[in-house]
This record gives sequence, structure tokens and C-alpha cells, in this order.
Amino acid sequence: MKITLLLLSPKIKSIKNSINLHTLMRRLPFILIGIVFYLVFYIGSHKILSFIRSMEFIGEILSKKLLSMTFFSLGIFLLLSNIITALSSFYMSKDIPFLMSKPIEIKEILRLKTIETILTSSWMVISFMPPFFIAYGINYDAPIFFYIFLTLTFIPFILISGGIGILTAHLLTRIFPVRKIRLALLTIGLLLFLFIYLFVKSQLPVDLESPERFNHSFFATKIDLPLMPNFWMTEIATASLKKQMPDVLYLLLLLSNSLFMLMLSDRVGQKLYINNIERIQPSTRDASRGRRYRSFYPSRNLAVLWKDTKIFFRDTSQWSQVFIIGALIFIYVYNFRTIPLKLLSEFTPFIKEIMVLINMVMAGLVLSAVSARFLYSSLSLEGMAFWIIKTSPLTVKKLIWSKFFYGFIPVTVIMLAIVFITNMIIGADTLLMFFALVTVVMLCISISGLGVGMGAMYPRFRYENIASVSMSPTGMLFMLIAFSVVLLTLSIEAWSFYFYKKAGTSGLSLNLSEKTQLTLAGIVIIVLNILTIYIPMKKGEKRLSGDISI
Amino acid sequence: MIVLENVSKSFNGRWAVKGLNLLINKGEVFGLLGPNAAGKTTTIKMMAGLLGLAEGRILINGYDIVSEPLKAKSILGYVPDKAFLYEKLTSREFLIFISSLHGVEKFQAFKRIDKLLDTFGIKEIEEELIESYSQGMRQRLLFLSALIHNPLVLLIDEPFVGLDPFGVKMLKAMMRRLSSEGVTIFLATHSLHIAEELCDRVGLISKGSLIDLKNKEEIVIEGGLEGLFLKIPL
Repeated sequence: MKITLLLLSPKIKSIKNSINLHTLMRRLPFILIGIVFYLVFYIGSHKILSFIRSMEFIGEILSKKLLSMTFFSLGIFLLLSNIITALSSFYMSKDIPFLMSKPIEIKEILRLKTIETILTSSWMVISFMPPFFIAYGINYDAPIFFYIFLTLTFIPFILISGGIGILTAHLLTRIFPVRKIRLALLTIGLLLFLFIYLFVKSQLPVDLESPERFNHSFFATKIDLPLMPNFWMTEIATASLKKQMPDVLYLLLLLSNSLFMLMLSDRVGQKLYINNIERIQPSTRDASRGRRYRSFYPSRNLAVLWKDTKIFFRDTSQWSQVFIIGALIFIYVYNFRTIPLKLLSEFTPFIKEIMVLINMVMAGLVLSAVSARFLYSSLSLEGMAFWIIKTSPLTVKKLIWSKFFYGFIPVTVIMLAIVFITNMIIGADTLLMFFALVTVVMLCISISGLGVGMGAMYPRFRYENIASVSMSPTGMLFMLIAFSVVLLTLSIEAWSFYFYKKAGTSGLSLNLSEKTQLTLAGIVIIVLNILTIYIPMKKGEKRLSGDISI
Repeated sequence: MIVLENVSKSFNGRWAVKGLNLLINKGEVFGLLGPNAAGKTTTIKMMAGLLGLAEGRILINGYDIVSEPLKAKSILGYVPDKAFLYEKLTSREFLIFISSLHGVEKFQAFKRIDKLLDTFGIKEIEEELIESYSQGMRQRLLFLSALIHNPLVLLIDEPFVGLDPFGVKMLKAMMRRLSSEGVTIFLATHSLHIAEELCDRVGLISKGSLIDLKNKEEIVIEGGLEGLFLKIPL
């Protein structure tokens, strides 16, 4: 363990050295955004919880169910995150050759990588979830030991996912051909995700036209199996929320299982690691499938786009988030079939318009997430090879626009398809469909520009895994700004559309003041979207024209 | 021809290069020598347009690298000390990409790619992804890519890192030939025997400042570069 701590010390010192007043001041805007997020998340969770608990008879059961579902989702997220991180950390990390060349026992390297994997894959859960649990604590007026128990039990909960994730990574590397690991893993991840979704769905034979049946089905959902860690966590948390002593059995189960999983992953690692490392050494790979296109020669303006497209289809590590996003889109579109439009139309005559609006907001969320992967990360993808472009006679402006089209084209195709299909399901009329599609194209243009521009403003050419670029603080900031632009654009549009429709249904034509207001709204939307693309692209161009640390 | 006029660069308030003046003629092989952290790589990165200048100016065949970067870069070939390349491209695809960036016409590009792949001994593995190349092969590919557009000025940072003796011999011959054809070559190195063998003139740099400038004859008279190098104040 002493050696493991010694091996960890450079990383700890690097973090320590990177924290100073200058860095803190530079990151102040992100810290403030983080605080705002915490507050919004806390208030939202508290309000939802208050609403749920105020329901007669079922409030408390629903509240426990929500807690159970949260732990279940966290467990799945942690597991997938640990498998992906373990593969990178144990087998693709750049420090492995250095560590292997030193007189260090394999078990010490395994321990170091275990700590790295668990911390890297869990930090997001650890940092994002407190407002939710604090909302629970405050809502229930829970005693201090609720927070203590929750903190203490979260550690073994994370360790269990970590242990299983690392174990899976060792086994996958052993079983699958080396170059296919990520692809195999992602396929497994996607299938697992869809399985869980369809499993939960099958537990919910929901006829949403009837609220009673929905409630009945919701209670019947069986994700809290007594053999699952999320069940133990829910039992501990629920007991301590109600000022009762949690059952020691669940505490022991969490502790013993976390130790067992860590030991098992360690033993399997010691058995397989050396062999696995030998299997992942670079080998020759013939890319001669492209031979028949040998005569193709891109023009200077298309060179970067051509290169990026070729690399994208060969580099499976770039696909990880695409798979997850793909699964989310599938579920999103699939869910539209179950919307009880008939039932809802009793509450408002504008139900289709409202549904199209909600659809657009959801599509905007998807757009922000997809853009983070395709556009925000696109410049960082150049990595340490950025010197090649920087020393070539290609202007930064052309480079940035090339990256824009690299992301804009697939993003727009995906978004148009989603909005078109979902609007068809809703039964949107021609005018609504037209507005929705035009809005989507406009948002795709502005958010693509924002993504490439911000990616150029905050490039990260030294990365271990490209997924870490879009998940960085600046990547998160991009998603927040992108979604804010979407919300602002849609809010103004919704207001204008409502204004226009109301006048139409009352049979009165718009007066000059109303026409002016509508025109102004249109101008504001256009200006907002132009600024969204122009400012970051300009700033990004300036940043990349300056010194770059490569 | 390369001109450096009073070139300076600082990082976090510390001068990495200070008041550097150099004039390198057409067809000359010039070596910038100095101990570690003397400012060699910073100088070459400024010449390649990777870093900006705090003061002064750099002219590449009369083009200012700051105000006319595209014109300067179109006649520049740069070989960095670390071979970071696009791992998921084959060497042929990589060279097509570089040729295209430099605006080389298609027919010319394919002709030169075929010829240079053959000369540099990469022809046999041209369809393999770069990720599977050894350090030496990567270095050869780097050199090759710097020559694909017939540069008039070649900037090379630590030229023979990772190369086997065959590779070193081939590159030395290549550099001599390029120099005789009028290509100006600027080397940054701390390898004394390479500088002695290849360079027409050598500049000694320490703590970002040029401290000595010698031509081939002067180096011979003074008994070789080693004595001069060891006199450099650290």
C-alpha cells in the first residue's frame, strides 16, 4: 500500500499544484454556475418531493420509489462509467509503459489503477447528487445521522460498481479481439441500457389514458430487488430519514460486497493483466479497404473534413457517447407513442402546440448533448497532432468552419429526423411542422457555431479519453449556454405563436402594435442566434491564432 | 533565406528567448546548438508559426511569419522533435492530407507521394495505420511530410531522434542534396557531431540569447564543437 500511495503522490501533487488563487479566479465563473446549478437542483428536488409527499395515501410510497429509482439509476450509471474508465485507465493509459518498466509489483499497479478508475468514474455522481439528497433530508426534517449514514454507505455503494466495472474490463480485454474491445463494450452497454429500459417498461403495462392504472403500474415496478445494492441503500436511507436506526444487515451487505468485489477484481486482474497488456500492444492493421478510393484527392478546403471523417469511422473510442446518445434518442422517440394526447386535450385546446413546444425543448436538450460530442470536442480531437494544421498554410478561420460543417451536417440530419418523426406522431399541422423544422435548422446552425467556437476557446489537446473533453467544466458550460439559447429562442417563439393563434381564433386581425411586437420578437430571435454563432467563433479563432501549448 | 530580427519570447514573465538576431542564407545549413532549456525549441516554434513573438520579427524568404503567415508557411517544412501524428490514418492518407493542405495539385501530389514513400522506405507499409509504426518509421514519415510540398526552408528540431543508422545516413544525404538545390535548412539540436558534420554555420544559444556564431572553418580551428559547447555558461 505504501508503494500505491507513492505512485499516487504525483497525481495528488499535480492537483495540489494546479490549485492556486490565479486558477480559482479563472474558474470563478464556473464555480458560480455550479452554485446556481446546485441551488436550482436543490429547489427543484425539494418542490417535486413536497408535491409527491402531499399526495394522499400514496405520497410516502412514491417518495420511497423515487429514492429507489435514483439509487438504481446511479448504480447503472456508475457501472457503465466504471467499465469504460477501467478500460482506458488499465489498458490505454499513457503511463502504463512507464509503470511496467519500474521495479513495481503488478498488484501495486492494479491498486493504483483501481483508485484512479473509481475516482474518475464516480466524481460526477459524488459532486452532482448532494442537492438531491439534501432536499430529501430537509424535506423529511432528517436527523444528522441521515447525512452521516448516506455518506458512509455511498462509499461501499461506489466501490461495488467499481469492483464489478474493473472485473468486467479485465474479462472483456481477455475475451474480445483487442481492437474490438470498445466496440464490443459499447454494444454490450447499449444492449444493457435498452434491456433495462424495456425491462422497466414491461413492468409498467401503462395505459396512460387512465391515471389510476398508471399509479398501479408505477407501484408494481420491480427494480428494488432485495439482492441489489440500490435496495440496501434505499432501506438505509429511508430508515434514517424517519429517524430510525437502519438495519445492520444492509450495512454489512454493502460493506462485505464492496470488499468482495474489490478483492475479486484484484485477483482476476493479477491473473489476467500481464497477458492482456501484451495483447494490446500495437499491431499492424491494413487499411487497404480504402484502396479503391485511392484516386480521391480532397481540395484544401475539404482536407480537414475528409481527414476527420476517415478518423471518426476508424476510431471506436469516438463512438462511446454516440451510442449512449443514440439509445437516449431511441427511447425519446419511442416514448412519444405513449403520450395521452386525447386525455390531455381535455385540459387545453392548444395541446398539440404545447406538445410540439415540449418536443422542441426536449430536442434542444438532445441537440446540446449531441453538439457537445460532435462539435465542442471537434477541435480538441486534433490532440497533440494539432501542430500539423497550425504549421500549414490553412487559416484558423477555415479550420474552424471545417469543424463546423463536420459537426453541423450530422447534427442537423439527426435533429430534423427526430423533430419530424415526433411531430408526425403528435399530429402537428403543416404550419407547426414548418415552424418547428425551420427553428431546428436555425438552432442547429447557432449551437454548432457555439460548440465549435467554445471548443476553440477552451481546447484540450492533451486528453486520455475524448469523452472527458465534453464532460469537462467548460464542456458543461457549453451545454448550459446551448440549452439556455434553445430555451430563450423557444420561449420567444412560443409567445409569438400564442399571440398569433389567439388572434386567429378570436377572428380579429393584428393591430400595428401587435405586428410590431411580433416583428421585434422575430428580430430578437435572429439577433440572439447570430450572436450565439458569431461571438464564440470569433473568440475561438483569436484563441487558436495565439500560442498553443503542444 | 531566414531573418530573425531582435526576436524575443517570454513565458510567465521569464524570457525564453531574448533579442535573437540571425541571418541564414539560401541553401545554407544552420545549426542552433545549446543545452537543455536554452531556447532552441521555442525559437524554432516561433519560426514555424506555432508560437507568437513578444518582440522582433521573423522573415521566411521575405515573408513575415506573423503578418503573412500563410505565405511563409506555404514555403516552410517543419519537423518537430516529437512525432505526434494522426494515428488512425495510413501514411498515404496522411501525406494526401498534408499535400492538400499545402494546395499541391493532385497529379503532382500523387507522383511525389509515390516517389518519397519509396525513397524513405515506407512504401511497403503505406496502407497500414500510423498507430502501428515504430518510432523510427514515424520520424521518417515526419520528414517525408515536411518535404511533400517542395519547401524552400526546412526547420528541423532534433533531426535524428529514433532513427536507425540507415535512416540517419539517408536523411543526411537528403539534407545535403536539398541544401545544394537551394533549400535553407535550420536545425535545432544538442547533438554535436551532427552539427559538425552537416552545418555550414552554428549558433550557440544559452538562456535564450545567442552567445556565439561560428562557421565550419572556425569550428575546425577551435578544435571542434565540444570545446565551444562546454564553455557555454549554464
